[in-house]
Amino acid sequence: MMHRRKVLSLGISAGVASALLPTRARSADDEQTGFRIIDTNISLFRWPFRRLPLDDPDALVKKLRSLGIAQAWAGSFEGILHRDIAGVNQRLADACRNRAELIPVGSINPELPDWEHDLRNCTEEHNMPGIRLHPNYHGYTLDDPRFSRVVELASSAGRFIQIAAAMEDTRTQQALVQVPDVNLAPLVKLMRVMPGARVQILNHNLRPPLLLQLGETPGVFFDTSRVDGTDGVPQLVHSVPPGRVLFGSHAPFLIPEAALIRVHESGVLDEASLRTVLSENAGQLFGNTAV
Amino acid sequence: MNPADMQLGLPSPEQLKGYRIWDSYFTPAWSHPGADGSSGLLTDIERSLPAIRKGQFEKLCYFPHVGTGTTNDAAYEALARSRPEVILKPVERWPDLLLGMIQLNAHNVPASLDAINRWLRDGPMLGVYFPGGGPGAMTCTHSNFSPLVERVAELNGVIMQHTWFKTGGKQGPGESTPSELAELSARYPQQKFVCAHGGGEWERGIRAVRSSPNILVETSGFDATAGFIEMAVRDIGAERIIFGSHLPSRSLGTELGKVIGADISERDKKLILGENFRNLLRPSVKAAEHTPRGRE
Repeated sequence: MMHRRKVLSLGISAGVASALLPTRARSADDEQTGFRIIDTNISLFRWPFRRLPLDDPDALVKKLRSLGIAQAWAGSFEGILHRDIAGVNQRLADACRNRAELIPVGSINPELPDWEHDLRNCTEEHNMPGIRLHPNYHGYTLDDPRFSRVVELASSAGRFIQIAAAMEDTRTQQALVQVPDVNLAPLVKLMRVMPGARVQILNHNLRPPLLLQLGETPGVFFDTSRVDGTDGVPQLVHSVPPGRVLFGSHAPFLIPEAALIRVHESGVLDEASLRTVLSENAGQLFGNTAV
Repeated sequence: MNPADMQLGLPSPEQLKGYRIWDSYFTPAWSHPGADGSSGLLTDIERSLPAIRKGQFEKLCYFPHVGTGTTNDAAYEALARSRPEVILKPVERWPDLLLGMIQLNAHNVPASLDAINRWLRDGPMLGVYFPGGGPGAMTCTHSNFSPLVERVAELNGVIMQHTWFKTGGKQGPGESTPSELAELSARYPQQKFVCAHGGGEWERGIRAVRSSPNILVETSGFDATAGFIEMAVRDIGAERIIFGSHLPSRSLGTELGKVIGADISERDKKLILGENFRNLLRPSVKAAEHTPRGRE
């Protein structure tokens, strides 16, 4: 079970991001921004194909603290290729329990028999606020009935769903494990029949027209982790309705400083917009998550 | 909080200034400078200025198309040859900020040799860039490279080669890998070469050039994947790594983040962010001081 203090902090109403945050001394960066930063996209443990400098949870948390990141939503790299998903999620929950900044986001693989059991474990045993999916590594598409069933069950349990559109640039993948990016187009149609579902797309590199179609789709959110170009994040923010873009770093696979700098480097986003991306929009995705 | 003053993820402005950042890979209007020869370039440079200021960059090196056939626009190619002054507009507008290396088309050796003489011998450009895509791309092991490399070497110019190791194969027949650059560099041990992008898939790229002491690795052009700089420093030494921003199509965050976020010494960061590139350019600048027209 999640630590009680953390559980209480997660029982929030939509848009009330400050209540979502664990108690922590304010850092120099808090003082600089005037708000506390939420990273909606990190992962714990070992990337399957190389050691990463921050793949130790303590080292990662130390780095996040040094950057002024008050809370980070953590999936597990193990969830990409492991088939014992219950074990994956147990280790994730254990790692997050005594690290106040970390919120566990469990992995679900609907290709595996009895994946519903893993989902129940996430919601009932570990009290996780959301789940993370890797459709490309797990071998299904977003028009697969099993995917819509995952969205339906998770949403009815009040959980958000994160879809990792990619984990790395396809051009740099291990030659024997080539995995195309997730085709996100079916999500537009699916979300129309899933009112109340909240889905965040991670690690994407979306372009119009699909970006605009997804932006017009209620319940779809975006992270910033692989949105590149000096004004790429402001362009994304201005391309979709307010409240849809959430800061995500994809650390420790990517260097967390990179994502933080990209949000503000162009000077295009004003203070209010920076606050929503770096902090408040996370509360919109969290919604009335009943944990 | 003024967003322009925000330093999230960055060292302090004073620390950034202390690095004396010289960007070896600035890519405004990369594929085409605009029909008039400069408007696209100027727009993209202006678009990059907030990040340039935030990063406290001292200098940036860009790569103009000079009419050797590196674009697909015949009208522009003719303009660049007949009115070369249009190529100089960016350096005239930002003389203290910009450096240049010309893009070459190894398919057209005579035109490329002419361009080397026009822009390196006579100034103000400091080196050449061999592209990995577009009509000017040619694999760098081709024999056409020999006369071009030899002429650049005579003029003490810098040679930068686009390189990638792409899973699934090259994007086009003219693309070069770090292994191919290592093969070329072995024929000219006195000439320095820059392996742009470190091969993209840098775990292979670094290995491919590790035993080529006359190759430096440039850092831009791929996601801010953690561990790159640490591996490069371990395997080839910080003295053989030079920073590139790839602005504005990439970002200050992605590219500067690779270096400032790496677990290496401050001394190594300073080498990578500016000192190595200045050292690489020194012979070229020195040579320019002895030419009739000189270079900036």
